[in-house]
Amino acid sequence: MAEYREGSTSRATFPLPDVEWPATAPYWAGAAANELRIPFCDGCGASNWFPEATCGACGGRAFTWRVMSGRGTLFSWVVVHRPFLPQYADAIPFVPALVSLDDAPEVRVPTRMVETEPGDLRFDMAVTVAFRPLRFRGVDGEVTAPFFVPSDPGW
Amino acid sequence: MATPKGEWGYASALEDTSGEVAIVGVGDADHSSASGRGQKEVAAQAIERALEDAGLRARDIDGIMHVPMAGMEFTDDDFREYFGVTHDLWVSKEGGGMVWAATAPHTAAMAIREGKAKYILNTFAVAWATQRNSMVGGPGESHAKELFKQNLEVPMGWFPQPVYFATIARRHMHEFGTRPEHLGRIAVACRAHANLHPGAVMNHKALTLDEYLAKPMLVDPFRKEDCCLISDGGGAYIMTSTERARDLRQPVIEVAGVGLGNSHTGPHWSQQAAFTSTPHVFSAAGAFGMAGISTADVDVFTCYDPFTIVTAMTIEDLGFCPKGEIGAFLESTPLTHDGGGLPIQTHGGMLSHAYVLGISHVVEVVHQLRGEAHAQVPDAEIGIYAGYTGPQASVLVLRKHRG
Repeated sequence: MAEYREGSTSRATFPLPDVEWPATAPYWAGAAANELRIPFCDGCGASNWFPEATCGACGGRAFTWRVMSGRGTLFSWVVVHRPFLPQYADAIPFVPALVSLDDAPEVRVPTRMVETEPGDLRFDMAVTVAFRPLRFRGVDGEVTAPFFVPSDPGW
Repeated sequence: MATPKGEWGYASALEDTSGEVAIVGVGDADHSSASGRGQKEVAAQAIERALEDAGLRARDIDGIMHVPMAGMEFTDDDFREYFGVTHDLWVSKEGGGMVWAATAPHTAAMAIREGKAKYILNTFAVAWATQRNSMVGGPGESHAKELFKQNLEVPMGWFPQPVYFATIARRHMHEFGTRPEHLGRIAVACRAHANLHPGAVMNHKALTLDEYLAKPMLVDPFRKEDCCLISDGGGAYIMTSTERARDLRQPVIEVAGVGLGNSHTGPHWSQQAAFTSTPHVFSAAGAFGMAGISTADVDVFTCYDPFTIVTAMTIEDLGFCPKGEIGAFLESTPLTHDGGGLPIQTHGGMLSHAYVLGISHVVEVVHQLRGEAHAQVPDAEIGIYAGYTGPQASVLVLRKHRG
């Protein structure tokens, strides 16, 4: 069963990720190095996504973060026309999406499709990670984040 | 606990309590957009009306159920303060709305069986319309605080609930050929029922399918009309043994069955293996089995409906039609109270009545089975409320008591 851990939304960097939160710190450290890293269980080899403290498949508690190829397929997406957080306002309209990774298809990466038009998106189309700075109006700082783009620019 | 390979959830085993308890009093608070009222004041109004409906006094109530909401829930202390009583109450925090509006009668049945209480009140209220301009207490708050979402989903903009469920809806459309006009039929049926219900927030606003299709996109493929309201409101219902219920003023509406299903991925919709399903896949058999009924016996259908797609998936996952065939089902099945098909959300649901998270659905089903609803289904004898939170889904089967 997925765990529920409550934090605060009042930290100054919200909605940027807290890159120091231990459970996801290796993910954001990977992004800073332009690598998409996902944890796998040392005991049974299953992916552990989201990075829970125990493996959902075998109960193991030791994991190794592996570098993924960055290639995947577009699982689903939406086009957001209204900012649900004031910090999103500058990005409207934008395209939050879930990408299934070629190296571990059961892993869905929450991301945003960029450098493409929503009308050009197709289910299960080939997509590739693109590391870009994530910024929000009124929030200091930026974080390098895994956005995705269509793999074939001529799609 | 280890997850069996290929299994994305499971059914909870619930002891058979069929027919042991009845709902003997129901009350809706006033439902509205921003009212300036507080949550506890709203809950107290619903409770007062439920007591009046049952013909009971506050001193008769010896059990209270709610769900913790950062101190805003209506507790036993609040009950004593608002209703001027001093006695002890049995307390359960597994009540309130959402999934628990359906399971509370089972929890209450067990407590009544064990002699912990005789008359148990379940209540739930929100004032999210009043609070919506802050992140305090709104529907997105708990999601923004959950640290996996906060650090993996929120930064990329995959937040909040309209985004989750529009993403699910688009995938459902891809997998099964579901179309916007199918979702529109659900929104239009809800609105038609709200137009007949004087307590519904959208009572005076009509909606046709053509109008629905002409509305602008909010989170494509969702229009605003696919999404629930943000409301101030609440409800309450009172349960006791079926035996004691016979001595009270209202027709006896018994709790015939309850079922509960669970998803291993909990609140993380993005990772749910069965992306276009709900844990109702696991809740239906227990509830219908306990009640000894099939889907064909259901006269009134209500479900937790934050978005049209949740109603669509609930209809499928409970077995009213095969998975993936909701489009054809909606094209051939009237959804209104007088259509002879499957009447859904006969008060308007969370889309058009009020977003009070399922508690008013139970109130509505009771009114239907008593034969006193505003959009009355002829000869309704069995009605359901299907609760949902994402991590869990539940079914409550209510039946008009015979004899």
